[in-house]
Amino acid sequence: MGKAVELKNITKRFPGIVANDRINLEIQKGEIHAIVGENGAGKSTLMKVLAGLYQPDEGEIFIFGKKEKISSPNKAIELKIGMVHQHFMLVDRFTVLENIILGAEKKKGFTIDEKTCRETLKKLLELYNFKLDLDARLEDISVGHAQRVEIMKVLYRGADILVLDEPTAVLAPQEVDELFINLRRLKEEGKTIIFISHKLDEVLSIADNITVLRRGKAVGTVPADSVTKEELARMMVGKPVLMKLNKTPAEKGEVKLSLRDVMMKGHGGRNVLNGVTLKVCGGEIYGIVGVEGNGQKELAEAIIGLQQDYDGDIKVCGKPTKGLSIKQIRDMGVAFIPEDRHRQGLVLPMKVWENSILGLHRKEEFKKKTSIDIKKAEEFTSRNVKGFSIIISSIHQAIEGLSGGNQQKVILSRELSQEPIVILAAQPTRGLDIGAMEFVHQQLLEKRREGKAVVLISADLEEVLSISDRVGVIFDGEIVAEFTPEETTLEDIGVYMLGAHKKAGESA
Amino acid sequence: MKKDYKILALKILAPFVAIILAAFISSLIILAIDKDPLQVFYTMFKFSFKRIDSIAMILFNATPLIFSALAVSIGFKMGLFNIGIEGQYLIGTFMAALVGFSIKGLPAVIHLPLVILAGIVGGMIWSFIPIFLKVKRGVHEVISTIMLNYVAYSLIHFLIADVFRDRQQSLVEGLGSVLVRTPKLAASAVIPKMHGFLAFFGVQLPKHVYLNWFFPISVVLAAGIYYLIMRTPFGYELRAVGHNPEASCIAGINQGRIYFKGFLLSGAVAGLVGLSDLLGYFRYMDMDFPRGYGFDGIAVALIAQNNPFGIIASAILFGFLKRGSEGIQALLKVPMDTIVILQSLMIIFIVVITKIINDYVKRLEKREVA
Amino acid sequence: MLVAELFASSLRMAVPILLTAIGAVYTERSGIVNIGLEGMMIVGSFWASVGAYFYGPIMGLIYAMMAGAFLALIHSVATVTFRVNQVVSGVALNILAYGSSRFLSLIIFNKATTSHHVSGFKTVDIPGLSEIAFLQPLMTDISPILIMALILVPVSKYIIDKTVFGLRLRSVGENPLAADTLGINVFAMRYAGVIISGMLAGAAGAYLTMEHTGMYVEGMTQGKGYIAMAAMIFGNWTPTGTLWASLLFGFAEALSLRAGEGSIIPYQFIKMIPYVLTLAVLTGIVKKSTPPAASGVPYDRSTG
Repeated sequence: MGKAVELKNITKRFPGIVANDRINLEIQKGEIHAIVGENGAGKSTLMKVLAGLYQPDEGEIFIFGKKEKISSPNKAIELKIGMVHQHFMLVDRFTVLENIILGAEKKKGFTIDEKTCRETLKKLLELYNFKLDLDARLEDISVGHAQRVEIMKVLYRGADILVLDEPTAVLAPQEVDELFINLRRLKEEGKTIIFISHKLDEVLSIADNITVLRRGKAVGTVPADSVTKEELARMMVGKPVLMKLNKTPAEKGEVKLSLRDVMMKGHGGRNVLNGVTLKVCGGEIYGIVGVEGNGQKELAEAIIGLQQDYDGDIKVCGKPTKGLSIKQIRDMGVAFIPEDRHRQGLVLPMKVWENSILGLHRKEEFKKKTSIDIKKAEEFTSRNVKGFSIIISSIHQAIEGLSGGNQQKVILSRELSQEPIVILAAQPTRGLDIGAMEFVHQQLLEKRREGKAVVLISADLEEVLSISDRVGVIFDGEIVAEFTPEETTLEDIGVYMLGAHKKAGESA
Repeated sequence: MKKDYKILALKILAPFVAIILAAFISSLIILAIDKDPLQVFYTMFKFSFKRIDSIAMILFNATPLIFSALAVSIGFKMGLFNIGIEGQYLIGTFMAALVGFSIKGLPAVIHLPLVILAGIVGGMIWSFIPIFLKVKRGVHEVISTIMLNYVAYSLIHFLIADVFRDRQQSLVEGLGSVLVRTPKLAASAVIPKMHGFLAFFGVQLPKHVYLNWFFPISVVLAAGIYYLIMRTPFGYELRAVGHNPEASCIAGINQGRIYFKGFLLSGAVAGLVGLSDLLGYFRYMDMDFPRGYGFDGIAVALIAQNNPFGIIASAILFGFLKRGSEGIQALLKVPMDTIVILQSLMIIFIVVITKIINDYVKRLEKREVA
Repeated sequence: MLVAELFASSLRMAVPILLTAIGAVYTERSGIVNIGLEGMMIVGSFWASVGAYFYGPIMGLIYAMMAGAFLALIHSVATVTFRVNQVVSGVALNILAYGSSRFLSLIIFNKATTSHHVSGFKTVDIPGLSEIAFLQPLMTDISPILIMALILVPVSKYIIDKTVFGLRLRSVGENPLAADTLGINVFAMRYAGVIISGMLAGAAGAYLTMEHTGMYVEGMTQGKGYIAMAAMIFGNWTPTGTLWASLLFGFAEALSLRAGEGSIIPYQFIKMIPYVLTLAVLTGIVKKSTPPAASGVPYDRSTG
């Protein structure tokens, strides 16, 4: 056997924080080694050090027993380290083949030797028993397949050590199973796999050994078969964790939001929404889960009015919203927490106070003759900052300087300040640490208690099951099933997420 | 708080560094043609600032550039690049001239505002086309405005040479042929000079200086635009759309409407660019009516980083460069075009330097929180 | 006869647009918008007159391409290395090109707006085909630069679609972060794309000076650099598409030259044709076109 990777005292600092603090780590050849930790524990930084994207400030790296300096991604590839990124690093408009060979093309003079490339790839696919259509365009294949492309990319480059960064974050449970089959097959062929995750169940089922990171430090390595989920969780957080949210029974009110047969066409005439029907009442949280790209984004955009080009009805408090502007729909009491806060929720170069009145800037309360009453806007912002414990140096700083959690809190405080009736939250906890995540959940539950209708769109199944009152599974632009969290399991939902049992969505 | 001052200082410093770098490279160019750069710069200063009338001429030079740069900056604020100031002011100037020479017998208090209004409308008409194409058809405003500049050149040529040409000009003794130009504007359409006003303060300007009331108008307009952009809800929306159209849209701001209003405003201001020359100097429009204010305005706006008050300062700088370049050409036989090179180098340096400083400031701000 | 003549003249007018538009394909495919192509054409036209006047047409072409490449290098430093706004940098370069050409023209030729007369390449006739009377205007007196431009179309198509360089160039224009993680030098590829575009725009300027007018005249590019960008968009970012679009614009230019005296339409309106056509074309097609995903977006590794 022997060690594939050994890290000694790796330290990486960023302005103001130590992302990796004297980390020691040993990974045996041919094992699946998981690295777990909360968001912000330093997992990604550590991996970027291994991939040659960051240089450690201190410490030594040994690869297969030899001391190495991983100065660039090229060097990492040379050392047979292959990185599978959490956010796929793929070119949508290229074919699968082009994506795999990019940067390591087999050549004939200046020309790409496509034939040799293709043969090499076919052999690899056979060896590891991967299924992939080499000529499909990336934009046309599923997320699970795209991930296989990522894995093939590093295998094609001859990697012996594979680093997978949160590989299951975007997959349905069944796709996760397939991924694990693939990974075990790779292990059989002698590959070393480093598996980064914060999902403890998965880690326990796939890994041989598990290293836990907490606030930049490695707190220990344990064999997977001698540890429980609770023990791991305690190591991660440093204190016993409550795995249950404080949730009172729902007190359902009237229907606040209803969709009937909403159809929308996307690029190339394909239906991206395929007859969505659902009803959400006051005082309940309706969770929508699905593999990404099954119409969640379009659904949210139709409800808020960004996309008007649909058939069917969307009603807020019984009034149809079709043909109304986004402003009018918002004025009816719809609050929106967008999926991509940088692109859709904030104006990054503008100040914190300016961002916290975005969309409210024409309200009477901020008006002073022809201008905006800056003093009132500042007071409003300061109140929000206090109420939501937002950490900033000044409300006059540009919002791009804030951490993701604090940015999200600014959006939340803004959207929830106007006494909304319907709250549409798309991936509201993505990229947040556990503290901020809990805060967001509490806010949503609080609004539920106040009798608001909350729609929660999320890719995180556990999140949806833990705080929703009802769960709708979206597949191929359709709500294919509805459950209450009590009557279902992860596996059940997974089946529907993949469209294995397509059945018409019934409203509860 | 100390950091805030540091950031402010850096931002103010940027244009000066750019000017010095550009001056340095221009010096090399001047050296290459066997002239002494120090002497050139000295001559520029001496020629420009020795006499009060020379300073007034600099302000006269700066006036169209202030309007032009303000028009450009409104576009930049909402994330659009209006390279069409050039065409917009030519059309605006022509419209003003048309109202100026075709209406007669009105008192100046009515005629002059009417002429100015015509200029504004002309600029708006010519800015309406590109923004309409942008919002309705997604045509990039940079290419459409440039194309419209060429169309405007030809159109103005046609209107002046073929349609409204003044055929009753009397030949001035000893001055070759008649000009291809519009008829003279009525006296009631002429903008008064500032001589009388300044004389009140003891400043006596000679007759050959054409500094007129458009200069104070441009300064007041700059202040007004500052208020509009930084204080009003419309200005807020303009800036939000400029930085992030998608987030603004989701916040309920109608992007298309902001684009329309903002671009028309930009065109309206552009319509004023040529009026100081038309109503205060030529009093007719001919084929050689000054061109290039639109492009100079881009430079002025960039150096001022789109700050309206900065625009006044950098327009005066350009006014000085123009005046000074006349000086070095007359006195030292150094080509005026050296200054064009200096100006374009300034733009390149200013954009690179402000970018570097902004990136640095961003890092500073991040550090504080993390 | 008239048809062949009109076609021949369209082809000739299309050459500078085509060369520049192919250049635009390279730069845009690498993810950099280059509005400075107009300026690169201007310096090309000026430096061609210098090279050709003192050393003959070959040096004219080389000077022009080097001048274009130099301006493109500045554009790359500003936009790739310093990540400044690509449109702003391009506009600044256009002003610099105008000012420096005027200045140097004064220094070198003692005239601000024109150069001395220069001679171009020896023209060629296509053997065999030039005998056929009907085809004569098309097949005789052909500039080698025209032939070069036409050959460049399939060659560029091959380079972009089939070579390693092409694949990598496209990848940095579509997803620079992905390319970077695969060890592709994003900066080098983008520099290459921009500099190729500068060289081709320079060559287009050389064509105008040496093959078309026989001298450098200030303002002779007349916005052809911008029209070339429109042609590239119309051609959907491909060399072949660009060829057809350039021919269309060449046709418009040929028309605007032809209709002279005695026409019922005032000639100023005929002069507008290429510009109005550009607007019309962009209005008609732009929504369907698909620019490279990262075109115009600066790449910064730290923010990804």
